[in-house]
Amino acid sequence: MDNTVIDAHNISKIYNKENIPVYAVNNVHLHVEKGEFTALVGPSGSGKTTLLNLIGGLDLPDEGSITINGEDITRMSPNELIDFRLKNIGFVFQSFNLIPVLTAKENVEFIMQLQGIDLGKREQRIHVLFDQIGLSDKLESRPSQLSGGQQQRVAVARALASKPKFILADEPTANLDSQSANNLLDIMYKLNQEEHMTFLFSTHDQRVIDRAKRVITLVDGRIVSDTASQILPA
Amino acid sequence: MMILIMAWRNIWRNKSRSFVIILSVALGLFAGIMVQALYKGMMRDRIKSLIYTEVGHLQIHENEFKKEYEPSLYLQQLPSLIQQIKQTPQVKAFATRSIAQGMLASTTGSSGIQMNGINPEQENVVSALKNKLIAGSGFQNQKKNQLLIGKKLAKKMKLEVGNKIVLTCTDQEGNMVSGAYRIAGIFQSSNSMWDERNVFVQQDDLNDMLGIAGESHEIVILLHQDELTLTTQQKLQNQFKKLEIETWQELSPETDLMVSAVDITSYIIIGIILFALAFGIINTMLMAILERTREIGMMMALGMNKLQLFSLVLLETTFLTIGGVPIGYSSAWLLSTYLHKYGLNWESMGEEMMRSFGFSTTIYPEFPTDKIAGTIIFVLITAFISCLYPAIKALQLQPVEALRK
Repeated sequence: MDNTVIDAHNISKIYNKENIPVYAVNNVHLHVEKGEFTALVGPSGSGKTTLLNLIGGLDLPDEGSITINGEDITRMSPNELIDFRLKNIGFVFQSFNLIPVLTAKENVEFIMQLQGIDLGKREQRIHVLFDQIGLSDKLESRPSQLSGGQQQRVAVARALASKPKFILADEPTANLDSQSANNLLDIMYKLNQEEHMTFLFSTHDQRVIDRAKRVITLVDGRIVSDTASQILPA
Repeated sequence: MMILIMAWRNIWRNKSRSFVIILSVALGLFAGIMVQALYKGMMRDRIKSLIYTEVGHLQIHENEFKKEYEPSLYLQQLPSLIQQIKQTPQVKAFATRSIAQGMLASTTGSSGIQMNGINPEQENVVSALKNKLIAGSGFQNQKKNQLLIGKKLAKKMKLEVGNKIVLTCTDQEGNMVSGAYRIAGIFQSSNSMWDERNVFVQQDDLNDMLGIAGESHEIVILLHQDELTLTTQQKLQNQFKKLEIETWQELSPETDLMVSAVDITSYIIIGIILFALAFGIINTMLMAILERTREIGMMMALGMNKLQLFSLVLLETTFLTIGGVPIGYSSAWLLSTYLHKYGLNWESMGEEMMRSFGFSTTIYPEFPTDKIAGTIIFVLITAFISCLYPAIKALQLQPVEALRK
């Protein structure tokens, strides 16, 4: 059985093509299987976020192809990509990016509504997700009433709401204190272990790197190392 | 549903900015509705004045009479016609008139006029002529050759109550005939043009001049309700096929045209107000979109499609726009209801000008209930047009670029 979730072939993203081309991502091959807990690391400007954007279908590569769950997203129209992202990919952003006018519950429910899931199933899933992130008592809180860590946990719940094939997280712990970062990592790790949810995240955070099953290092848009690291208990 | 909630909450993210737009819409609507209320009040008064003091709901003439005002074309079989009218339940009152086109001459000059030979008692019911008298005591019983003249004509001819004038016209055989009359009263209606053109004498006096004793050229009918005009016209026309039976709209097509023109004008005014407001709404929405670039990018990244994003911008614009509707409407309703009761005096704006168009100087605005639906449609169209540019800006955002902001 093919467990491949992400398959990127020779992908490059080039800026300033007309003058002096700058390779944000340079001829990258990446293969991620279901249940991986992978960290993309590298110095600032190494292309981590660009690579995540390409894999997430937010941006298109100038060269190469990206196959997600067997579907080539580089051949999709913008509208098909929107629909594909909604059904297949969960996003967690560095600065939480919750919708400020919606409550925590509504932020998560919003994605399910976009998917056309009926009210009963939405309610059920919301309770499961908020139990998982440990914020069942914060359902009606607005993002401004939550701490950074709590907001990022809601963002994880939102990413999981659509039952995606994998979750892309761009520096998820960058804006969190140690305690909050550890809590978030525990939740993500638990989801990975228990539900085999695939995570691919960019990070500078050593705590994240330490807990990743696999660490890919990018420098100047190229993968310079790709190694499984020792999983350390929390 | 969530998009609806988001749109509603989004407009309150910047309360003062939203309030300014909502109040602008309210103010614009208030102004537009007040214009409609004033127009409606003016037109209602004009129609009322036309029906109840000038032409009545219906008039009956011999078929060819109004072409040349030939005195010999008086109504045939008048007694049976009157009998039939009396038996028509829709008819509240009627008056017979003899009409002649001719000349009024005095020592100071002459003027072309229409002589209306009337029965004062009938006329007081049908056209309230007595109420329009501003000088003199009107027709005195037993006195012959008395005349009522309009204020404007009296002023033009420098005539006063008690002065003598000469009326000249042709009789039914085409002979020139004249009669000396004494002014028994000066009247003033809300239509100075009409006042200048019409004089009233007693019907017997005019009939003597025309040689048509006991006859009438015209029957003016007043109905119990304005709405009965068309059905009563049809009913009478079926009974008297050879006679010309006209409604007030046919008798005064310029008034009917004015009502339609005023209706259109009031919509144009509202359109202009909302068009100006649209720029304010566009500016506000554009600011709201630009401030939320990152958030919009994030929603697009998560899977919000273009139609949903457009709906969000459209709903926000609609909420902002229709938010002012109840305020605009209720304030316009309050003021127009107050003014409907106490009147708005425009005498200082030019009494003569108002009267020359047939309007009284005190206007009683009427809240335009019948135009609410039309105005709301205008507002919604404005919202839709106003949201287009900001929505296009939002739709042009690329999630990856928007997320960097």
